[in-house]
Amino acid sequence: MAKKSVWSDNRFWQRSATWVTGFASILLIWLTFDTSAQIAMGNDKNLKDGVTKRVPGPTVINYKITYEMSNKRGHEVPIIGGNDGKGNSLFQQKEKFFGRDDYSEKEARALLHLGKLGSQAKNCMDCHTLLGNGAYYAPDLTKAWLDPAWGPDGAMQALTGKNTKEEAMAEFLQHPDQYPTHARMMPNLGITAKEAKGLVAFLKHMSSIDTNGFPRNFGKIKGAVHGK
Amino acid sequence: MIDPSVIRPEIALGDFLPIFVSSALVLVFGGFYVGIYTAVKVKMLKPWFIALAYMFWLLTAYCLYLMGSLMHVGEFTAKALVVAAIGLILLPHAVYYMQDQVHKKNEH
Amino acid sequence: MASKYLTGTGSESKQLATWYFTFAAILFGAQLLFGLVAATQYVMPGFLYGILDFSIARIIHINALVVWMVFAMFGSVYWLLPDETGIETVGIKIGKLLFWIFAAAIVVVVLVFLFIQVGKADATTIWFITEGREYIEAPRWADWGIVVVALGFVGNLFLTGMKGKQTGIVTVLMADMIAFAGLYLAGMFFTDNISVDQYWWWWVIHLWVEATWEVFVGAIAAYGLIKMLGAHRQVVEMWLWIEVAMLFGSGILGLGHHYFWIGTPEYWWEIGALFSALEPLPLVAMFVHVLYDWGKTQGSEEEKGNTNSVINNKPAFTWFVLNAFGNFLGAGVWGFFHTLPQINLYTHGTQFTSAHGHLAFFGAYATILIGMFYIAVQGTNGIKVMKHTRASIWATSMITGGMMGMTVALTIAGYVQVIVSRAQMGATWAGYFDGQSGMWFQQAMDWRLIMGLVIFTGFIILAKDLLTTGKNPVHER
Ligand code: HEM
Ligand code: HEM
Ligand SMILES: [Fe+2]
Repeated sequence: MAKKSVWSDNRFWQRSATWVTGFASILLIWLTFDTSAQIAMGNDKNLKDGVTKRVPGPTVINYKITYEMSNKRGHEVPIIGGNDGKGNSLFQQKEKFFGRDDYSEKEARALLHLGKLGSQAKNCMDCHTLLGNGAYYAPDLTKAWLDPAWGPDGAMQALTGKNTKEEAMAEFLQHPDQYPTHARMMPNLGITAKEAKGLVAFLKHMSSIDTNGFPRNFGKIKGAVHGK
Repeated sequence: MIDPSVIRPEIALGDFLPIFVSSALVLVFGGFYVGIYTAVKVKMLKPWFIALAYMFWLLTAYCLYLMGSLMHVGEFTAKALVVAAIGLILLPHAVYYMQDQVHKKNEH
Repeated sequence: MASKYLTGTGSESKQLATWYFTFAAILFGAQLLFGLVAATQYVMPGFLYGILDFSIARIIHINALVVWMVFAMFGSVYWLLPDETGIETVGIKIGKLLFWIFAAAIVVVVLVFLFIQVGKADATTIWFITEGREYIEAPRWADWGIVVVALGFVGNLFLTGMKGKQTGIVTVLMADMIAFAGLYLAGMFFTDNISVDQYWWWWVIHLWVEATWEVFVGAIAAYGLIKMLGAHRQVVEMWLWIEVAMLFGSGILGLGHHYFWIGTPEYWWEIGALFSALEPLPLVAMFVHVLYDWGKTQGSEEEKGNTNSVINNKPAFTWFVLNAFGNFLGAGVWGFFHTLPQINLYTHGTQFTSAHGHLAFFGAYATILIGMFYIAVQGTNGIKVMKHTRASIWATSMITGGMMGMTVALTIAGYVQVIVSRAQMGATWAGYFDGQSGMWFQQAMDWRLIMGLVIFTGFIILAKDLLTTGKNPVHER
C-alpha cells in the first residue's frame, strides 16, 4: 500500500465539500438579507421625501419618469419627477396617468397588484422579456413605458387613435390584433379595460426600477454612441 | 467596486465579434490544454505533446487578456480572470495527482 | 461485472424506474414537437396564430423539458438504488402510487395550458391555470402536488439509503435531492414586486441547473463509470466529492450572474463575475475525469493482455461521453461567453441566451439521461455487453448534430441582435424589430427550424432503438 495522503482520502474531500457548500450558502443567505432590504418596494412617503429607492413605491405612477445618464454611476438611471442636473431624481414633476396624478397609496398599490397578476395570468413573459428575462419573440418590456414608439412622436398614439401614452398602451393591450406593427403580431389575450389599466401601471412602475443601466442607451437612437 | 473614473466605456461596435470569438476560444483552448495534458498522463499520447498542452494554455491566457481588454473589464474582474487562468493551469495537475494517489492506494 | 441486480426483473425499484423513463421519453417527444411549433412561428408568424400562440407552444416546450428531466432523474435514482444499497427500495409501493399521481397531474396541467391558456388577472388563474413565470408556469395546485411527490421520492431515497449500504454516491444523492426539492419552494409565492419575484425565481432556475442538477449529474456519471467501465469506486467517489465542492463552491454564488440588471445592487456584478467565471472549471474537470478513467481502465486491461473494449454498454457510454463534452461546451463555453456583466449588458435576453440554454440543457442533462435510458434497456433485457446498432448511431448523430447546428444558428442570430437591436438601437421596440428583420437573423431562424426537424427525426429513431434494441441478437448475453 502506498503512503497515505490526505489528498486521496475520501473523508477529507467529503468534509471539504460540506464546508465549501456551507460557506457559499451562508454567504448567499447573508447577501440575500442585504439585497432584500435594498429591493424592498418603497412607499409614497419615500417619494414625497425625495428618497431614492431601487424599487420605488407604486405611487411613482403619479410622476414623470425618464431614463438618463448619471455621471456618478456611469450609466443610465431612472429619473423620477425631474433631474437635478447631476443625474438624481427631484421627485417634483408630476405626470397625469389616465387623467390623474393624485393616486393614493392604496389605489396605486391595487393597480400595480392587478397589473402584476395580469402579467402572469396572460403569460407575458412567454413572449416578452421583463427585466431582460423571459422569451425572445417580442420586445423587452423593462423600459417599455419610456419607449419612443409610444411617445408623442411615436407611431402608436396615432395608430390607436389616442392622445396619451397610457391610453394608447391600454388600447393596444386590449386589441393587439387590430394594431399590428409587424407580421409578428401580439395575440388577443382577452385583456379587459380594467386589466389593461393595471398592466400599464405595472409597466410604468417597472420602468422606474433601477436596473444598473440595462438596457444600455435605451431610446437614444439618434444620440446613441453607435447611432446610425 | 469599479473605479468611477474608468466607468464602463462603451464597447466599440467592431469589438463585439473579437470579444465573442476570444471568449469562446478561452475555454476551447483551455479544453485542449486539459485534454492533452490528461491524455499524455494516461499514456494515450507521447510525452512531448505536453509542450503542446502548455502552448494551448498560453493561448487561453492570451484570449482572456484580449477579451478582458476589449470589454474594458474593471480591476476586480481583471483579477477574477487571472484567478480563473491560474485555476485552469493547476486544475489537471491537481486532478491527476489526486487520482493517481487513489489509484496507487487501491492497486497495491 | 454483471451484478445480481443488473437485471431489472425482480426489482420493483427498477420496474418503477422504467415507468419513469418511459413517461420521460414521451414528454421529451412532446417537448420537441412544441419546440417545432414555436420555431415555425418565428419563420411564419401566422402559423396557429390565435389558436396555439407562441407563448403557449413555448410554455409546453420548456415545461415538458423540465418535467421530463425530473422524471428521468427520479427514474435514474430508482434504477441505481438497489445496485448501490444492495436492497430493494423502501416504500416502493408508495413510490409507485406517487408516480401515477405525478403523471396524472402533468397531463392535467398540459391540457389546461393547451385549451384554457390564459385567465383573468386574479389569484384563481395563478392557482388553477398558469403562474406565468418562465419554466415554472405550472399553477399553484400543481406546485403543491409536486412538493408532495418530491417528498415521497426523497423519503424513499432516505429510508433506503439509511437501511441499506450508504455508498458515497447515495450520500451525495440524498443531500442533493433534499436541496433540489427544497429549492422549488422558492418559486411558490406571489409578489407585486417584480425584482423580488425574479430574485427568488432565479433561486429555482439557477440553483437547480447550475448547482443541484449538476451535482446530480456528477453522481450519475460516477455510477455509470463504475457500472459501464468497472472503474474503481474509491477513485470515482473521491472524485465525486471534489466535484461537489467545486460545483457548489462556484455555482451557488455564481447565481450573481442573474442579478446584474433586475433591480438588485451593483455588488452582484463583482460576485457574479468572479464565481460564474469559475463555474466552467468543474465542468472541465468532469471532462478530464471521464477521459482519465476510460484511459486508465482500458490501459490496465490491455496490460493484462485483454484488448477488448472495457465498455459494456456502447450506446450509453457514448451518451455519457457526450455529456462530459456537452456540459463543458454548452454550460462552460457558451455560459462563459456571456457571463461577465460588461458583455451581458448587451447579450442579456437575446438569442445568445437561447443558444446557451439549448446547448447547456442538452449537453449537461439530456445526454446523460438518454444514457440512463440505455442502461435501463440493458438491465431489463439481461444484456451483458450492449453494442451500437445502426439506429443508435443514427439517432445519436442526428440529435447531437442537430443540436450543434441549432446552437450555431441561434448564436449568429444573437450576434445580429446584439449589434443591431442593442448596441446600435438601444433595445427599443423599433430596435428589436430591426434586428429581427435582418437577413442574417431570418436565415438563422430558418436553419434553427431545419435543425429542429433533424433533431426530431433523430428522436424518432432513438425511440425506435430504445423500444427494439433490447431484443436485438447482436448483444452479448
Ligand atoms: C448545465 C448547466 C446550465 C444550464 C442548463 C443553463 C441554462 C441556462 C438557461 C436555460 C438560461 C436562460 C434562462 C432564461 O430563460 O432566462 C441561462 C442563462 C444564463 N446562463 Fe446558464 N446554464 C448552465 C450553466 C451556466 C454556466 C456554467 C454559466 C457561466 C459560466 C452560465 C451563464 C449563464 C448566464 C450569464 C445566463 C444569463 C443570460 C442572460 O442574461 O440572458 N450558465 N442558463
Ligand atoms: C426540435 C428541436 C427544438 C426546437 C425547434 C426548439 C425551439 C425552441 C424555441 C422556438 C424556443 C423559444 C425561444 C425564444 O423565446 O425565442 C425554445 C426555447 C427553449 N428550448 Fe428549445 N427547441 C428544441 C429543442 C430543445 C431541446 C432538445 C432542449 C433542451 C434539452 C431545449 C431547451 C430549450 C430551453 C431551455 C428554452 C428556453 C431558452 C431561454 O429562455 O433562453 N429545446 N426552443
Ligand atoms: Fe445561471
